[in-house]
Amino acid sequence: MKRRAYKLLVVALGLALLGGLLWLPPPGQPGGPVHEHVAARYVEGGTEAAGAPNLTTAVLLNYRGLDTFGEVTVIFAALLAALAVLGVGAAARNASGTGKPRVDARLPASPVVNFIIRLMAPFMATFAAFVMIQGDVLPGGGFQGGVVLGAMMILLSVAIGPDRVSGMVAPAPLGWLRAIAPLVFLVVAVSGLALSGAWFGLSDQPALGHALMVVLELAIGMGGAAVITGIYLSLAREVE
Amino acid sequence: MLQALFSHIDYVAVTVLFCAGLYIMIARGNLLKKVIGLNIMETAVFAFIVTTGMIDGGDPPLLEQGLGPDFASPLPHALVLTGIVVAVSVTAVALALIVRVKREHGTIEFDELGEPR
Repeated sequence: MKRRAYKLLVVALGLALLGGLLWLPPPGQPGGPVHEHVAARYVEGGTEAAGAPNLTTAVLLNYRGLDTFGEVTVIFAALLAALAVLGVGAAARNASGTGKPRVDARLPASPVVNFIIRLMAPFMATFAAFVMIQGDVLPGGGFQGGVVLGAMMILLSVAIGPDRVSGMVAPAPLGWLRAIAPLVFLVVAVSGLALSGAWFGLSDQPALGHALMVVLELAIGMGGAAVITGIYLSLAREVE
Repeated sequence: MLQALFSHIDYVAVTVLFCAGLYIMIARGNLLKKVIGLNIMETAVFAFIVTTGMIDGGDPPLLEQGLGPDFASPLPHALVLTGIVVAVSVTAVALALIVRVKREHGTIEFDELGEPR
């Protein structure tokens, strides 16, 4: 009975949505409004103005650098929230010894899976670095590279265990590594203010602008990978 | 009408995906399934925004690579990248909260949630 009401509601909403969407200009046509106005200006002069042939990177790191600053702060805040919800309680329980005895509840990965993951990990890390560093020229960028690196870390923790993965970086530098993206963005924003008189003023000199962009991409990637790995490890530790 | 449906077939698919996600979110009692439904809805919205920026037979907005002259609009790509990051953050916090709910209540079925144990 309730299910039927939900279905009716969803279908009615879908029809209303569809009615609205059919009024839009059809997708795939060059003259649509999404290709005019500001997007047309990005395609016209974006590379000269923002210093990146990949226009998406130009929008992310230069035109809307402040947005991206907020974005890296959001994922960092998500990690803080996950740790606040999970980490403190679990740590206290383990310390007091009242919790369940620590048993390895991971599914035992087969030797083949283990071997393949360990074989592929260096290549995945190299690809992640390539995607980050080349993010202003080719498809890719900091977030994409960071996700590849984070996926590699999660695979590794399936193969060799979460404890050995979390032991890769000492606790004190790990905190800084997780916060590196917002911190580097803050430094670059302020340095732009000093160098060219504007927040995120990257591209007064093309070489310096390019270097700063690569630094930003690397910071996003490393910070993103650290955050994703941290969230996964805090969840995985709970399951054990 | 039928003509419009065919020329907007991408938007039809996106609407179906969105409604499927919404139905999972409101009809399922399992909190994990609600999060999955939310992710399906988010995927539908991202696919919609990216689709608006595409050009049939066009190229990705990478200059100096000998591509062009029809470039996909870079603005939807940047917006969706931001959206994906926020969606991942929301999912991470939701999963952490679900683990906490399981620890406190012993269940993640919405109907069985009572007083904390």
